Amino acid sequence: MSESQPCRNGATVVSIGMGEIGVARDGGTLRTFLGSCVGLVLLDRKRRLAGVAHIVLPDSRGQGQPPGKYADTAVPETLRRLKELAGDDALHLTAKIAGGAKMLPFQQGQTIGEQNVQAVERLLAAEGIAIVGRCCGGEHGRRLVVEAATGIVTVETVGGAGGTVL
Amino acid sequence: MPSPTADRLAIVLRRAADEASASLSKWLGRPTRIVVREVTALPLDRAVTMLGAGDAVLCVCGMHVAGALPGVLALATDDASGLALADLLLGRSCGTSTEWGEIERSAAAETTNIIGCAYLNAVAADSGASDETPPLVPSPPWFVRDFPEAVMGGIVMTQAAADAVFLTRTAFDIEDTAIRCSLVFVPQTPLQEGPTPSAGRT
Repeated sequence: MSESQPCRNGATVVSIGMGEIGVARDGGTLRTFLGSCVGLVLLDRKRRLAGVAHIVLPDSRGQGQPPGKYADTAVPETLRRLKELAGDDALHLTAKIAGGAKMLPFQQGQTIGEQNVQAVERLLAAEGIAIVGRCCGGEHGRRLVVEAATGIVTVETVGGAGGTVL
Repeated sequence: MPSPTADRLAIVLRRAADEASASLSKWLGRPTRIVVREVTALPLDRAVTMLGAGDAVLCVCGMHVAGALPGVLALATDDASGLALADLLLGRSCGTSTEWGEIERSAAAETTNIIGCAYLNAVAADSGASDETPPLVPSPPWFVRDFPEAVMGGIVMTQAAADAVFLTRTAFDIEDTAIRCSLVFVPQTPLQEGPTPSAGRT
């Protein structure tokens, strides 16, 4: 992960870079910046666990490195890391997703952002994980912040007032 | 179409930088220098944070170029330098522009147009006239003001499947001003061969 820094309440904010995965528990906070990429958030509210994957492309086509970069490898790898953090397999997960924007004009056909969102939706459905919040599409970047203790996901844009809470 | 090589791209870009410097010096009414520093390959996460990271705001005026040596040409600044550049272009005293309205975006677009024309001329000179030469097709300039990682992520997306992103870094200085811009060219596809240490250096 790219960096960590203290925030106002004393908790540590861990920044998740492009193609990376991060997990946190209790007071941990995860943050990432998204354009056409999709931020996948997996939460176990009862056990106060959170995982974030910064997904760049929908399909690894067999490459798979780093696993967070591709939807088809990021979903199982985030699950694996959360199970490792929990110490067992008994997780009750829900998902929230954000990103998938069309950042630049003159992109024709289905954008990479749309493909990323669809791939994540399909993979989560296959795992039986419900998406309980989403903030996707549009033509602007997003800052996504996840608090593991509460499961609150805040999505903000440049110039946006207040942001969206998922 | 085969991917370009780093050396060929550096030659074309140096020629474009010289022409753009001359045009912009006339346009801005003061010496302006664009110098190609390097054609380089960076890991994806470093490429997207090259011009800033985190909560900073990046203003990018860019242009897609199709044809021989296709890619994205992007002029990037922070708010202060970008608005100061607009003031300079519009003949206003520095500090007049305080936000990105239509006229300020137009000024940035015109600057990008000038640089884009210089790039197209350089590509045309490099390619020569031939029936097999793909036509050069520039897009109208577009303007994006957003988080640096979000904008750069979009620009380098055509190379996102590769391990490293090839891009060109330049110095862009306007004499007697504190305006600092970055000009980035990202080829549409990875280059055929890795850049040598001297590739593109001036």
